[in-house]
Amino acid sequence: MSTAEFAPQQEVHRLYCEHHGWLQGWLRKKMGNASDASDLTQDTFLRILTARDKGQAAELREPRAYLTTVAGRILLNHYRRLSLERAYLDALAAIPEAQSPSAEDCIIILETLHQIDAMLDRLPPKVRMGFLLAQLEGLTYAEIAVRLQVDVRTVKRYVAAAYEECIVLMS
Amino acid sequence: MSAVPSFDDSRPLDRAIARAAAEWLVRLHEDAAAEEFVACEQWRAQHPEHERAWQRAQRVNQMFSVVPRQMGLPALGRSTRVDRRNALKILTVMVVGGGAGYLAFREKPWQEWAVDERTAIGARRAVVLADGTQLDLNTDTAIKVEFSGSERRLILRRGEILVRTGADPHGASSVYRPFIVETPQGLIRALGTRFMVRQENGGDPATQVAVLEHAVEIVPSAAPQHKRIINAGQQVRFTATRLGEPGPASSHVADWSRGILFANQMRLDEFIAELSRYRVGVLRCDPAIAHLRITGAFQLDNVDNILAVLPETLPVQAIYRTRYWVSIVPPADPASG
Repeated sequence: MSTAEFAPQQEVHRLYCEHHGWLQGWLRKKMGNASDASDLTQDTFLRILTARDKGQAAELREPRAYLTTVAGRILLNHYRRLSLERAYLDALAAIPEAQSPSAEDCIIILETLHQIDAMLDRLPPKVRMGFLLAQLEGLTYAEIAVRLQVDVRTVKRYVAAAYEECIVLMS
Repeated sequence: MSAVPSFDDSRPLDRAIARAAAEWLVRLHEDAAAEEFVACEQWRAQHPEHERAWQRAQRVNQMFSVVPRQMGLPALGRSTRVDRRNALKILTVMVVGGGAGYLAFREKPWQEWAVDERTAIGARRAVVLADGTQLDLNTDTAIKVEFSGSERRLILRRGEILVRTGADPHGASSVYRPFIVETPQGLIRALGTRFMVRQENGGDPATQVAVLEHAVEIVPSAAPQHKRIINAGQQVRFTATRLGEPGPASSHVADWSRGILFANQMRLDEFIAELSRYRVGVLRCDPAIAHLRITGAFQLDNVDNILAVLPETLPVQAIYRTRYWVSIVPPADPASG
């Protein structure tokens, strides 16, 4: 550990002491739930700490603007997780009991869904859908082209763009 | 620093290499000639980073293979657009919230905002609104969400929604914001938490409401004096001027939110009309067989599968004029006709 990394940690510590309560209040108002807000507050500071370890130092002249930016992203992830879990549970409920995956499999499936969901998060809806139809439904590019009402060349571009994104984000 | 071992995959990967790998995957996906596979092997061998990108792509494919077929698309294909919109909203609020605007922001935490959401024919989508309200949009549905400081209003332009109202984290410090669904026929004020609203356009436009939990109050737009409260387990159909007696709600009224159409001795013409909501194109039922009755739970995700198995239970056949034009008609067998 170099001393260069030590100073930012102190800075985060100060940020934490001075604004922790305020951020928790901000999140509580957004979420209407104190315990979720507390979790997300911790996540926010953790994110800031690890981001600074990687040398992605942020401007701290506007600490609360900075905090709400980071917290806002975490909040979005949180909502994305919620909406995915809900869609997952609905899909699970629609599967006949005999075909339902085991409890352990469910955990693996849900975690995998989260990972995929996060990787695809920034893709435009059509690119995402094209990729999903290819990967999950096994449709041919021609079939996807009909579904999305684009030409096959465009479908190929979509799938390639999605693969590219996944390859970059996967680690 | 020593050299990073080649199996370490945590380092960032160059996007250009990722793109090249992605293009190979697409090229090899369908009808690739043997030479293409060879060329791809050569590309991979050219540089360790190429191989690393290729291996990542294989892991992407493995991840997808973990997901059961029935779950992948419902879970991952749900629209994330609303999240993006929320993102926009939250980020906008944050801009206000940061720096000098911060105090102003605290006094008015809910910016007035409006979003449009729609689903395509055959699509369903779950949406979580900023107040925690959970919405399911059925096929071919269009809504507008208008939240202000004094109310949460949702305008149903077309289609069908299932609403679970949220607790509205506006907080105890401020006024309660009523939750209202508006249709061309009137207003539905949520007094409870879970209800379904269906907008029926066409010759006799009407709104159908079924209450699953607690109650709602309905106010017809042209006859507000006829407003009434509909309780859990009841459903009612109303127009701008008429609000009839509520009847018992079917326990299957919200099945569509799980992708299921439940029919119990349903007339075939009604059944086909219901299915046609979920399928692009024309789907017709010959009047000669309209009176037939059908029973069962049907998966709405694949209407063509349902049509394909219809002849197994009923004396009918499905005629595909084109992919988009299907008629359900009496069987061709001359012995029966």
